[in-house]
Amino acid sequence: MITRRSLGGLAALPLLAGSRMAAAQEAYPTRDLLGLIQWGAGGATDVTARAVTPHVEQALGAKIVLQNRPGGSGAIAMTAVHTAPADGYTLLYAAENPLLYGVLNLSRIDLVNEFYAVNVLARGVPVIVVNADKPWRTLKDLVADMRANPGRIRMAGTGPGGQPHVVSSMLSSLGNIRHISIPFDGEGPGLTALQGGHADFMPAGSGAAAQHVRAGRLRALAVWNTEPLPSFPGVPPATADFPELARFMPWGSFYGVWVRRSVPEDRRAKLVAAFKAGASNPQFVELMQGNGNVVMNISGDEADNFLKRWQSVTTWTLQEAGAARTSPAELGIPRP
Amino acid sequence: MSEGLTYFLMSWTDPKLLLLTAAGTFAGIYIGAIPGLSVTMAASILISFTFSWDVNPALALIAGVYMGGVYGGSRSAILLNIPGAPAAIATALDGFPLAKRGEAGVAIGLTTVTSFFGGFVGIIALAVAAPAISEFALLFAPRDYLLLAMMGLLLVGSLSGESLAKGLYAGALGIALGMVGMDPMTAEGRFTFGTVQLMGGIPYVAAMIGFFGVSEALAQLHNLKVAPVKQNVSRILPSWSLLRRYMPLSLRSSAIGVVIGALPGTGGDIAALMAYDQAKRTVKNPSRPFGEGAYEGVVAPESANNAAVGGAYIPMLTLGIPGDAVTAVIIGALFIHGLKPGPMLMIETPHLFWFTVGNLTLANVFMLIFGLTGVRIFAKVVETPPGILIPLIMILSVVGTYAIQNSVVDVYWMLGFGIFGYFLRTYGFQVGPVVLGMILGPLMDTSYRRAMISAGDDPIAFALEFVTSPLSLVLTLAVTLLLLGQTPVWRGLKGRLTRQG
Repeated sequence: MITRRSLGGLAALPLLAGSRMAAAQEAYPTRDLLGLIQWGAGGATDVTARAVTPHVEQALGAKIVLQNRPGGSGAIAMTAVHTAPADGYTLLYAAENPLLYGVLNLSRIDLVNEFYAVNVLARGVPVIVVNADKPWRTLKDLVADMRANPGRIRMAGTGPGGQPHVVSSMLSSLGNIRHISIPFDGEGPGLTALQGGHADFMPAGSGAAAQHVRAGRLRALAVWNTEPLPSFPGVPPATADFPELARFMPWGSFYGVWVRRSVPEDRRAKLVAAFKAGASNPQFVELMQGNGNVVMNISGDEADNFLKRWQSVTTWTLQEAGAARTSPAELGIPRP
Repeated sequence: MSEGLTYFLMSWTDPKLLLLTAAGTFAGIYIGAIPGLSVTMAASILISFTFSWDVNPALALIAGVYMGGVYGGSRSAILLNIPGAPAAIATALDGFPLAKRGEAGVAIGLTTVTSFFGGFVGIIALAVAAPAISEFALLFAPRDYLLLAMMGLLLVGSLSGESLAKGLYAGALGIALGMVGMDPMTAEGRFTFGTVQLMGGIPYVAAMIGFFGVSEALAQLHNLKVAPVKQNVSRILPSWSLLRRYMPLSLRSSAIGVVIGALPGTGGDIAALMAYDQAKRTVKNPSRPFGEGAYEGVVAPESANNAAVGGAYIPMLTLGIPGDAVTAVIIGALFIHGLKPGPMLMIETPHLFWFTVGNLTLANVFMLIFGLTGVRIFAKVVETPPGILIPLIMILSVVGTYAIQNSVVDVYWMLGFGIFGYFLRTYGFQVGPVVLGMILGPLMDTSYRRAMISAGDDPIAFALEFVTSPLSLVLTLAVTLLLLGQTPVWRGLKGRLTRQG
């Protein structure tokens, strides 16, 4: 008898779920959300996600359970969110990498077309740092030395499509620049190797490099921006030495939150409002700026425009450097 | 100095901090004991959890979890042959045989005390020599990591069991499995068959749980009728004479732990394996042959992995460089709490250093207390009839594997490796070298290529660097001697030398 009753209960489940879904259209969220973080614990994406989420939860009135799902340069987390129901209960916390999946053959899913930017929270500004024992004082010195000793100067990188790779490709567009690029496991290990003298220079995120520069262990030659950064007093923008670099800027890694584009519009609006409030929290803003990031807090069309421009500039730079495996033209990415 | 002492005693005198450290250590032991649940994961969850707290209570809790978690991995390694964490792989090699002999209680007691001792050595190194050790750690170039990985891989010789050829096969298999996934240098997929799921590689913790836990459970199915070994739990705390005997070994292992822990990119797992190898080479008359329940086989890795905790804090506190995955998470926590981890941390927030030292000491003491209580009940786990124990191991393995990154695919991997491991065991292959290869293979691969790239892809310049840099020269000589020591060439040479003498 018990069996039959529980069977009956099972049969009623879809009905219940259906009615619950109908009700959810008015009331959202009615349960905890799941936030998948593209990168591992302790990284910049992870820290940003965990710093903003408590403030967002307050505005949203629901909990967001955060999980790190690293792997495949973040493609695994993106695929997971893409296959989850488009009900607004699964969020993707990502960095800039998904915009390069197409040209690097990592995934066919396009972030700009298939996902909706709930919030692009902040962007980092690359800083070109060198080992403090090296003679270079300005970006011009470094570029001159690279031209004088082609294939001798060692850059600490983070692999293809990583920030150092893209920045050095942009720098190489100045012409006659050839250097060695040693890929490390990430920005932290790269900066460590730089201090040990196992590499000579690195375009690193402002947040990661700031403390080492302040302590005098590394020297910052230039910030990858058209203007100086408050957290790097006295360090000139790269455009001061090479004005032609301005066409790439603003450029840097960024962190944000996405849902599938097919999530109902009213739910997207609720998420956008909650993240807008969360990212405006002074505590979060202070944390981001303290790390040398620029708070963006943009969503919807504004975010789309930013992402499209970023994707176009970056993928075409990689294409010209010979690092793209699929041409951006083939993916329909317009030339900047 | 008196100021330092005040900061040191902060968590000892503040009841709230005391309680949090205790709670963290207690939770850490059990998180560590459950395979799949890692300290890294626990620490990153705690960060969201302690977001609105002050920084000190948050750090106290995390320090407790870290200390307890590294130790806790030994619990399941000894009782079930499933290392609760990669740092406990080496402990399982002799810990589980000890449990099978009815000495689970002794093994846990010895593990606890030597973990405490190792933890203490790590903390002292942190307190006394942090700046010097972190500058030393920075000296390690990619080629030195390559030499370290080679040194670690020589351990295959110790783990092969009946036949070196089978051990080499198992080690090579592990290295091949470790290569699966995105090439860290070129981001090209290797052995991925074009699938995104394989891009992230095969998680070695899933392999570890499968090879050790599930394959052991399957092997136990042969002994369903055999009555479990009665555990002798009359004496848990190891005797003074026993401890005195192992003190030098524990100290040597702890020194390995501190250095490997302080190196960015290597942590407690590699430290424990290298300490085990060192023990096997240097201890002439072990209590029993290694692999059959030698006390030395649990003393060495357990001293080393807890010493690696203090070691990992060294570059973190002095330079803002994480010594391992957990300290990377702690750096994230410091950022969120508005501190600026980096070389200036000790100058701008001097209290943090002595506070952390005090905290780790306290966590270490709690680890000893919690570790030694309840051992009698735990030892009984081994006495559970296999009919009950085996399904429990299976469930624990599945849940633990799923918890690594919430992926069902990992569970399939784990089960597949379990069945595969069962057949390997049946045909006399050891599973230890497979897991060793999975851990060290990628380190060797990336280090070799980094070293080659930085030498400008010039083989001669590459080879010269091994003898021109003093540190590399020492490591090269060590690897050469270790290799020669295991081959007939050395024995012949030694024989001739002694004859002459």
